[in-house]
Order: sequence, then structure tokens, then C-alpha cells
Amino acid sequence: MMAVVQAVRQRVPASVAARLRRRAPVWFYALAGAVALLSLFPTLWLFVTSIKPSAQIYAWPPVYLPLRPTLDNYRHLLQSADLVRYILNSVIVSGAATLGVLALGGLAAYSLARLRYRGRRAIMVGLLAVSMFPVMAIIPSLFLFFRHLGLINTYPGLILGHTALFLPMGIWILANYFKTIPVEMEEAARVDGCSPVRTLWSVILPLAVPGLVAAGLIVFIMSWNEFAMALVLLSKNELRTAVVGISLYPGEYAFPWETISAATFLSILPLLVLTFVFQRYIVGGLTAGATKM
Amino acid sequence: MKREAGWWLVLPACAVVGLTLLAPVLYTAALSFANYSLAGRGSTSWAGVSHYLGLLGDEEFRVSLVNTLVFAFVTVPAELVMGLALAVLIHRSFRGRGLVRLAVLFPWALPTALNAIMWRWMYNTDYGLFNAVLLQAGLIEQPVNWLGTIPTAMISMMIVAVWKTSSFMALLLLAGLQAIPEELYESGQIDGATGWAAFRRITLPLLRPSILVAVLLRGMDAFRAFELPMNLTGGGPINTTETLSLYAYKVLFQFVDFDYGSSVVMVQFLVLFGLSVLYIRALRAET
Repeated sequence: MMAVVQAVRQRVPASVAARLRRRAPVWFYALAGAVALLSLFPTLWLFVTSIKPSAQIYAWPPVYLPLRPTLDNYRHLLQSADLVRYILNSVIVSGAATLGVLALGGLAAYSLARLRYRGRRAIMVGLLAVSMFPVMAIIPSLFLFFRHLGLINTYPGLILGHTALFLPMGIWILANYFKTIPVEMEEAARVDGCSPVRTLWSVILPLAVPGLVAAGLIVFIMSWNEFAMALVLLSKNELRTAVVGISLYPGEYAFPWETISAATFLSILPLLVLTFVFQRYIVGGLTAGATKM
Repeated sequence: MKREAGWWLVLPACAVVGLTLLAPVLYTAALSFANYSLAGRGSTSWAGVSHYLGLLGDEEFRVSLVNTLVFAFVTVPAELVMGLALAVLIHRSFRGRGLVRLAVLFPWALPTALNAIMWRWMYNTDYGLFNAVLLQAGLIEQPVNWLGTIPTAMISMMIVAVWKTSSFMALLLLAGLQAIPEELYESGQIDGATGWAAFRRITLPLLRPSILVAVLLRGMDAFRAFELPMNLTGGGPINTTETLSLYAYKVLFQFVDFDYGSSVVMVQFLVLFGLSVLYIRALRAET
């Protein structure tokens, strides 16, 4: 028993123990709290606006805390079919693009992380360079190509565009993840007589789930948020994605804040939930994708 | 698995990227040297560098280029300072750190276009939060038209950009901070280097590669800023917040001038390509 305690003690570095003992001063907590509040504030204010009755939205002095919150703005919104449509479009496009990136990117990343062949390094660097292209340099020609192919104003068009746009990032995140899976697992499977495809499917894939979740979430969020390509490739109102649809909602003259605030909040709610639940995966994937080579 | 298998696995992804990203960029490059009208199908002719010469005399192009550079050169250093402060803050262990990290991550996840709309509401002249608070506090006497006057429009846009992207900068720098061994700070402590001295002597030098990578990455993003000006100010007042991407978008899709617009985006592309070469080199040097 004593030996175990001794071993555990030795395993905790003194520095960590010291950091755990040292408690942060009060001003530090105040600062951290202020930072958190500042980061969430615009969204909070948007939410507060969205639950105000219309009259209070344009009141002077402004109502900082609506004492009688209402869901009227949300009700109006759901009655006008547009927004529901926009969100549905976003779900379809981002969902399909995410699956596309995971399927194509998973295979590519596995190959780049594990197999040694000529040109591997060049492909990695090439993908990274392509992901730095300004989307504005891609869009005019992509628009012409897609017009020729009849892909303008179709889901497959934007899904293909987003899949390509986020594939490099996805491959980078996944390749970095595959490198962390011990090769021994694969070798063991091979010794047991597994075929390569079988090994990939039933040994590697289950082990890669956290990496796939991280890459998938990041791609989903980025696709949900993508603006320029979605604006150009889907110009029909009933096909617009949530971000584009809502940003064009105001129209020429009127800016109906009561509906806008509710619509905006509804369309960022999925992102809020995803980041909240999967924070760890996202942070890990993002930093691996951007800072490791 | 055999070596050739590697090629087959990577091929589908390369094909999609090649056909959907690389080929269009090459075609755009070709368009920038051609006469092309969307109406006359296929009737293209060689235009040489005439579109590029046109850029030289194009006042709006010049203005948008300068705006973009000013925007990038102000926001990126500001983000670096903010991001570094945030990273140091969330690197330290304290109770509730998870929640603070979550809050810091959140601006990254917000769609830039909708974030612009949220801020537009706070900047609103008549009903906006900022004017209300400042008026009630007696700091201003008249409501300020934040997005409609010069130079407050550009400043307001920069504030939104720094607010939104400092968090991403912080995440990148946090990864760098976590790689610095704690022992260095302990031996530093013995030598009397604590607080600011430790930050300057230990943290900053060791973080330099991460800082370089983060600054280049953010610099590229700032140089392509599109959704923010499009949704916050529309480029106004009188083009003072118009970025290169926004100008290119206007030329391409509002004036439907594909060949001239292509020359605008190619200039942008070349600058970004240079930056991305630097970024890739910095990444290699870091690891």
C-alpha cells in the first residue's frame, strides 16, 4: 500500500503540485470573469433583444433587462417559412460537406500519415498551400464552371464547393491524429490475418473516432459559417443557407431588428451547443491543424 | 499495406481539391489576361496585361488595397497583444478555467457575417447599446453614427475584428505555451526571474515560433476580409471600409465584370501566396 502511494506521489511532478496548491488571487478571478463576459456579451445582448416585446426594442432609454420576456419574435419567425428553410439548407449543406470531408479526408489522411511513398510530403504542403487561397480567387471561375455543369443553385454544387474548401484542413487534422495511433495496433491485426481494408475499417476507424469528431465538428462549424461561396453559388432565396439568408433578410430599407435578432440567435444556437459540448475536441483539432506540420 | 495503395487513398481527395479549388484559380488567372463577357458565350480574346494596367489607374482599387493593408496592420498586432494576454490567462490553472476557456473559444465559432450583424445592432445610432450607455454616462452629448462617419467606421470595424479573432489567436498561442516546460520557470524563479521578467526572458523567446505562425495565419485572414465589411458597413462611408475582397466581389458579381475582377483577385492571390510560403516555412522551422 505504501509503495503505491509512494509511486503515485512520484508520478505527480512537484511543479504541478505546487501549482495546485497556489490559489489564484481575487483580482485574477475578476479578470477571468470579465474576459468571459466580454466574449459572450454580443451574443447575450442579441438574446436579450430577441426576447423583448417589439415596443421595447426601440425604446429610449433602452431596456437593459426585459422584465417580461416574450417568445413572440420567435413565433413570428417560425411562421415566416423563410428562416426554417434557411436553417434546413444549412443543415443539409454543412452535414453533407462534413461527411464528404470525413470520407475523402479520412482515407487521404491515413495514407499521408502512415504509408511512405514518393510525393507524400509534396501533397501535404500542396494541400496546405491550396487552403490559403483567397476564396475570391476561386469563386469567379467556379461560378462559370458550375454554371456550365448546371450546378448553380443546387445543393450538390455548394456541397462540393465546401467539401473541397475544407478538405485540406480536415486532412491536416486527421493526419495529425492518425500519427498518434500506435502502429502496433495495425501490425497486430495483420498478424491475426486481417486484410488491409478490414484493418482500416475495424481497427483504425474505431481508434480514430476522437480525431474524426474533432475534424467533423470543425468542418461543420466552418461550413455553417461560410459566407462568400454560399452567397454566390446559391442565389435563390429558398436555397440560401442560414448565414447568407439572415444577412440578406434586412432588405433594402427596413431592418426589422425584432425578427433579425431572433433569427440570428436561432441560427447560432447549434454552434453554441456544439462548442459547449465538444470544446476539448475542437481546441485540440484546431491547434493541431494550424500549428503542426 | 502496399505503397501504391497510398496513392489510391489520397487520389479522391486530391481530385476534388484539384478540380474545385486549383483549376478555378488557374482559370481565374487566365481570365485576368483575357477579354471575357458573361453574355457573349465563349467569345474570349487575348487582352494581355491591359486589366492589370487598368488597376494602376483605378482609384477604388487603390483605396481598397490601402484599406485592407491598414486593416491588417492594425488588427493583427492588436490581436496578438490581446491573444497573448488571453492565452496567459487561460494557461494558468484556476477553478472555473474550463468555463472561461469555453467563453474565449466562443467568438471563434460565431459566423463572421452574423457577428457583423450583432455588432451593427450594438453600434446602431438611434437604438444601439453603445450610444445609450455613453449618453447615459454623460460621456457623449450626441449619439454617434459609428458606422456612418469617417474614421469611426473603420475603427468600429477593427474593434469587431479584434474582438472576434483574438480568441483564435489565443488558442494557437496557448498550444505554444503548453509546450514550454514548467521547470524553466522554476529555475528562473531561483535566479529571481518572476512575473514580468519571466514572461520577457522565458515565455516570449520560446513562444516566438508560435507567434510567427499565428501572426502569418491571422495576417492572411485579415488580408481576405470580406464578410465583415460586407455585413457591417457595406464598404461605406464612401468606400473607407471597403476591402480588396469586397471590391472584387462588387466588380465580379455586381458589375458582372469577370475579366477585370479576375485581375483584382489575382493581385490579392499573389500577396497571399507569398504569405503562405512564409507560413509553411515558419511551420517547418517550428517543428
